[in-house]
Amino acid sequence: MFKVENLKYSYPKGESDVINDISFDIAKGEIFGFLGPSGAGKSTTQKIMIKILENFEGTIYYNGKDITEFSDEFYEDIGVSFEMPIHFSKMTAMENIDFFLKLYKNKGDIEALMRRVDLWEDRDKMVGEYSKGMKIRLNIVRAMLNNPNMLFLDEPTNGLDPMNAMILKDMVREFKEAGGTVFITSHIMSDIDQICDRVAFIVEGKIIEMDTPRNLKIKYGKRSMTLEYKENGETVTVEFPLDGIGKNEEFLNLLQTKKIETLHSGETTLEDIFIKVTGVQLKDAE
Amino acid sequence: MPNRLWILVKGELQRLNKYNMTSVSILVAFIWGVMLFFVNADILATLLPIVILLDATMMSLMYVGSVMYFEKSEFTISTMLVTPVSNSELLLSKLLANTVHNIFSSALLIAVFVLIKDVQIHYFLITIGIIVATLTHTLIGIVMAYFSKDFTGALMIVMTFSLTMMTPYTLLMLNIIQGEFWEIILLLNPIQAASEIINAGFVGFQITYKYYLSLGYLVFGSIILYIFYALPKFQDYAVKNSGV
Repeated sequence: MFKVENLKYSYPKGESDVINDISFDIAKGEIFGFLGPSGAGKSTTQKIMIKILENFEGTIYYNGKDITEFSDEFYEDIGVSFEMPIHFSKMTAMENIDFFLKLYKNKGDIEALMRRVDLWEDRDKMVGEYSKGMKIRLNIVRAMLNNPNMLFLDEPTNGLDPMNAMILKDMVREFKEAGGTVFITSHIMSDIDQICDRVAFIVEGKIIEMDTPRNLKIKYGKRSMTLEYKENGETVTVEFPLDGIGKNEEFLNLLQTKKIETLHSGETTLEDIFIKVTGVQLKDAE
Repeated sequence: MPNRLWILVKGELQRLNKYNMTSVSILVAFIWGVMLFFVNADILATLLPIVILLDATMMSLMYVGSVMYFEKSEFTISTMLVTPVSNSELLLSKLLANTVHNIFSSALLIAVFVLIKDVQIHYFLITIGIIVATLTHTLIGIVMAYFSKDFTGALMIVMTFSLTMMTPYTLLMLNIIQGEFWEIILLLNPIQAASEIINAGFVGFQITYKYYLSLGYLVFGSIILYIFYALPKFQDYAVKNSGV
């Protein structure tokens, strides 16, 4: 669907490349996560992919065609949700949506979308009266109002409560099931873990890791099993190598004779991997 | 007019209304109307063209500056960039909407004085004058917005422009600067040129070569400014102010 080859970019007054020779592709129907600390080049890459930034080096293909050859009709096919609210605050939600909808040939089912994000009842309220979460949900409706084939989501769950974040993640999954493709940036690793088929980590303009969340966890995880049990009123923690664990007599004996409190494999989290590969704590990355 | 441009113009006009620009415009026209209502015919004949000139020039700068400030503060320009509309459509829609908006307030003012004070108007010439003056100054306002970082900055640029351009215009009007040489040189000042083509809309004004010079200067100057600066720089401006 998207193929990025040897992409390089530096801002007009910048001394060095913000994007430094990155290549990746996104298959049709894939949810691709793009992760990295602040200033790593995530947003710049997205801006180039959605044709906001020009004068880049390298080639980007969308459905086999160089994106520089697309006219503004390119936007009939994609939907973009920005991180911050981007609405006319002195207009109602429906006035906002109606205005944008008229600019597209393809028109989605607005009522269904608004109901899905629980905004239908508030459709005639001024957007200025909306909470941050409501504005973010309206961003998603704005991104999907033209029935796009490809979605770009920038920190889509940032500012949403867990219930609405779940609804949004379900919408992304349903979009994928209907054949859609998604490019997503987020610093909320659990979201990425739950919905992305593949992720790429970008640091200082370079992709330093790219794989499925599962493969990354295996690669960066510890092949061990940690077991906690009670003995003489105290918690005892023992770690066993994962290889050959089924024949490890000590491990099997503990399972049979002790009251086990917890049993964990050494699988790491995407958050730990993020810290390992980017060298940045997540709170600094936001 | 292509359908998409028409949708954009309607959207701009709707927002001018929602963001109370139309109300402000009517209020300003009303205040001018009240002030001019009480002056005698001779003073009215001098002041009405100046008021129409201010409406078409200074107010155009202010309105388009405000609209672009709202766009910046709400980052709405970022979402406009990812719609299937071209930059020229986006820019033209602002020019056309602001012109329609200004014609409305000027027409309101003129209508009042035609009906109440029996002011004599060349309707065709005044329409041409207001359209050209408004389009030119809206375009100048858009270019000014490219250089302003915030609302205060925008206000400072507009005020500096106004002061710089209004001073020679006033000096010429008060005959402090005199002579044909200066009358021609000062037509380079867009406000002076706008004054020439707006004055032509009032009965009794003698149309000379300066009218055609001013009209040509504003029309071709605007086309050149649009093609060689406003349009090519729009993408940079939009990206810088998109907040993404």
